[in-house]
Amino acid sequence: MLKAINKLGPVARGLSATGTSSLPVLIIGGLLYAAFFVKAEPSIGNLDAHPLERRDAFYSVAAPGGAVLWAAGSYGKIVRSEDGGKSWAVQDTPVVAHLQSISAWDARRAVAVGNRGVAVVTDDGGKTWKEVKVPRSEVANKLLQVRTYPDGVAWAVGEVGAVLKSTDYGATWERVQAEKDQAWNDIFFVGRAGWMVGEFGQIQRSTDAGQTWVSVASPVKNSLMSVYFRDADNGVAVGLAGTVLVSSDGGASWKEAPPLTREHLNCVIWDGSHWVAVGDKGIRVTSDEAGKDWKAARISDKDLSWRTQIVKTADDFVLAGANLAVLHQDELRILGRE
Amino acid sequence: MKNATFKALAQVIDWVLRHRVPVLAAIVGFTAVMGYLAAQIEVKTVFSDLLPRNHPYVEVNNQFKQTFGGSNMVSIMLEVEQGDVFNMTVLSKVRQITQELQKVEGVDTYQIASLASKKMKEVRASTEGIESRPLMWPGLPKDAAEIATLREAVLNNPLVYGPYVSIDMRATLITADFIDGAVDYVKAYRQIEEIAGRAKGDGVLVRVVGEPILYGLVNHYLGETLQIFMVTVGALVVLLLLITRTWHGTALPLVTGVVSAIWALGAAKLMHFHLDPLVIVVAFLITAQAISNSVQLISRFDDEVAAGASSAAAAARASLLNLFKPGMLAIVADAGCVLVVALTPIPMLEKISYIGTVWILSIMLSAMVLTPVLLSWCGVRKRHAHPINVQPLLHKVLGLCAALVTSKLRFAVVIGAGVAFVVSGLYAFNLKVGDANPGSPILWPDSTYNQDATAINHKFQGSDRMFVVVSGKKEGALKEPAVLEGMERFQKYMEAQPEVGGSISLADILPAVKRVVREGNARYQELGGSADENGELVYMFVSGADPGDMDRFADPQAKNGAVTLFFRDHQGETIRTAIARVKEYVANNKLADAEFLLAGGLVGVLAAVNEVILAGQIESIAFALLVLVACCMFTYRSTVAGMFFMVPVLLSNTLTFSYMAWKGIGMNINTLPVVALGIGLGVDYSFYIVDGIREELHHHKDVGRAIAKSIATSGKGVLITALTLVTSVVLWSFSSLRLQADMGVLIAIWLFISAASALFLMPAMVYVFRPEFIVGSKRHPVEQAIQVEPAQAV
Repeated sequence: MLKAINKLGPVARGLSATGTSSLPVLIIGGLLYAAFFVKAEPSIGNLDAHPLERRDAFYSVAAPGGAVLWAAGSYGKIVRSEDGGKSWAVQDTPVVAHLQSISAWDARRAVAVGNRGVAVVTDDGGKTWKEVKVPRSEVANKLLQVRTYPDGVAWAVGEVGAVLKSTDYGATWERVQAEKDQAWNDIFFVGRAGWMVGEFGQIQRSTDAGQTWVSVASPVKNSLMSVYFRDADNGVAVGLAGTVLVSSDGGASWKEAPPLTREHLNCVIWDGSHWVAVGDKGIRVTSDEAGKDWKAARISDKDLSWRTQIVKTADDFVLAGANLAVLHQDELRILGRE
Repeated sequence: MKNATFKALAQVIDWVLRHRVPVLAAIVGFTAVMGYLAAQIEVKTVFSDLLPRNHPYVEVNNQFKQTFGGSNMVSIMLEVEQGDVFNMTVLSKVRQITQELQKVEGVDTYQIASLASKKMKEVRASTEGIESRPLMWPGLPKDAAEIATLREAVLNNPLVYGPYVSIDMRATLITADFIDGAVDYVKAYRQIEEIAGRAKGDGVLVRVVGEPILYGLVNHYLGETLQIFMVTVGALVVLLLLITRTWHGTALPLVTGVVSAIWALGAAKLMHFHLDPLVIVVAFLITAQAISNSVQLISRFDDEVAAGASSAAAAARASLLNLFKPGMLAIVADAGCVLVVALTPIPMLEKISYIGTVWILSIMLSAMVLTPVLLSWCGVRKRHAHPINVQPLLHKVLGLCAALVTSKLRFAVVIGAGVAFVVSGLYAFNLKVGDANPGSPILWPDSTYNQDATAINHKFQGSDRMFVVVSGKKEGALKEPAVLEGMERFQKYMEAQPEVGGSISLADILPAVKRVVREGNARYQELGGSADENGELVYMFVSGADPGDMDRFADPQAKNGAVTLFFRDHQGETIRTAIARVKEYVANNKLADAEFLLAGGLVGVLAAVNEVILAGQIESIAFALLVLVACCMFTYRSTVAGMFFMVPVLLSNTLTFSYMAWKGIGMNINTLPVVALGIGLGVDYSFYIVDGIREELHHHKDVGRAIAKSIATSGKGVLITALTLVTSVVLWSFSSLRLQADMGVLIAIWLFISAASALFLMPAMVYVFRPEFIVGSKRHPVEQAIQVEPAQAV
């Protein structure tokens, strides 16, 4: 090979010598450059957060019909499912306060309320959520529950005696009752008949679509968390420390059911054939139509999550709380954990 | 070699050989002193030695490890075979272990946590306000009802249910932190092993993991390590005896190796260094160098004797004279390559590098002086120690080499090496920095420790921790809602990574307290709305608690707090992803009153190590090449020589990296010492061969003949060394420590590549490229030697 180079003449020979001599410098220089300036960066772009994360608390879920589900929870997070809870998508909201409650008029229009008196509404299925102004108190403004009724009516209740009403799909809100040092936890209407429950076992009822409210004697001092009427006469209210109250006269009088559990009960519904209430540590309390034969048990032995809401869909129940879960033929499936 | 230098060297050698008795006495005396020192050297692991100096993560770790938990965490898991952990058998075992852990040496008694420790508390509302009382301290539950109460309390407490009792309730965890510096890994390992052993049985499995246990295990296997070392040396003796068939050919290389080792260890003691049991393999690596230099001399000596040297002294003199240049070049280049490793800012590497440099330099005396001196006493009469003769076989192999590299196949050899270099160089990019697999790479995957680690990481959030410090700009900053919310959202962000099993911070404590204050209403499990409210929540949590209970979350001034992340493994990729995610989050979510500081705990400091070692290794390779090129340029007065001898070094590094990538051996804190010291190892055999060719060309101009001659003489020494060392190193694969087995294989690969490039690649390259510094040119012809015997030349 050297002979071959020699034949090429002195210029080529010189070039080849310079090449071989400077190669070490190039290699060493290259390595040093790599050592000092090249940093191996891992690819983290492909690590997308799951729409339902471990740390999310979902205080509320709404089922406006069909397979659509909406859930709202901590740090202003709202997620929506179009397939009964199989898959979820996170929706952008303009708020970071915890959202305590969500309710929908239909698959497109919904409202959610929460801490610091925030309220957000959508009229396009959640593609855009808009924050709306609600009357605020100087003291505290946590809104705990919102419920929607036909013709754009919505009721929201919360701390410091907040009872707010909207008649235009949540765009504007007005205060219905004066402030007082007691929180309302839930409000419920059947037609023109309405009921509110709150701290210290307080109950009020209205017979004129919420224009006037009167206090009803309550058999308990525990906070009541939730109220539901299956018709204008028969209703159930549940509360802390396993309290269950039953009324069969439109809420004029209430009777306490024998205590079955010390766990807090946060939500009660009528699923069409039974009363079902859920609460802390995975507890579920059920009763027949008459509200007499109550039973308490954990939904699943392996699950001790707290729950703040249960809703009935066509075939299943959907549960909100420390996690989102679907209860299908009594089999509990926690979502977002697989 | 220039005739003038040649003459001066000859005079020195003559002087040494004339005064061989005083020289020998001096060496023996010095060895005795160093031996006394070497005997006192401490063998232990100091974890802080492994951590890069001045790295910001390590500084954060050192500043906060006392309160937020350092890298010395031990986790003990009790797992039931049937039922759940809420029964008297398990609970009393938990209490027993918790109490016994207090007595373990070096344990931080404030950092023992379990169901039975005082700091594991339940916060609840009572008529007198908030009450925070230990779950199961001081006494065990008395009856089934109390166990049921405990169970309820645990299930209701997110700080316990999940972190200390597994979600399926079949396992419970006890953790203990050790004080850096005070921990003696061997004692900690033995005492904890004993405690765990006592707790085993009654349907309860006990599993233990943690860095102290890991390093304790390594020390525990020290005896076995030394045994393997001894067996390796034994195998070496047998092989040397088999191949050389002479007693001096067997004993002298060993003497060289032992003397060098004694000097190096003595010097280490003088420098106040200790020896890490994990790097004992390194000792073998350097001993291999000493032995190879000695074998070269002896092999040459035997050749001189066979060629009819007049006396043993004359033969010794001639061999040293001829091999002085390549020998010195090999030693100095190796020493330089090892010394540059000290540039990596990891204290242990620095220590190993200094010890290694001294060790290699000592070969100058042990091999280049002691061996010829001892050889001068050997008889010239050929006596065989045994009848088995493998020499013809060796000659056949060497003949084959020579025939191959001087035939047309030489191009194939050079091209093949080029292809191997490119392919292995590209494949080497798959090398993983940090641990390449879950579990500890020090131990075999099926070892008890690694199985325990898998089990614990399966049941719990993860046993490896990293804390990120949230450093407030003023006192009370941690009570600011914005800061606490920032912490919680940071935790949520980090937990999206699958390997992060969970996380905990003050932002998890306060919501639980607030919920209790608010009648246990789940809708109030949230942070306070103002700094004052959060302050009250903190006050409620610590009131009635011990001072120090709050420490692992925040300091009493609420200025600095920690977010502790639990990792299911500490693979390099896991850590890098986590660190990158932390940085990304911090960059996008600035807090007004506080900043996030990376990173403490085991995962934090490993992140620091991983960030340093790859750059450090590449830097070391670059500087090692620089040293090599400088040495070669100086010796041969040629820049091309530098390029020429870089080839085997580059090849051996790319092949080693490829092997590590292929076998899933990560470049981590444990493999680094061996990998780093091996950088310059590929080349020293080549010096002997190439120099042999060059020296031969002083006598004639036939390059082919010179190559054949050099392979036959120097090549024999190379072949003997490679054969014996590679075979003995294989014994390391029987080690209980996977790391040592892996490192043994790595060393074998280096020696093999080193020998292969010396016997095939370098001669082929000489024949193909005919570099001027070896074969000369028309303008600079090779200086023809004045006869072999310098005496006649005068």
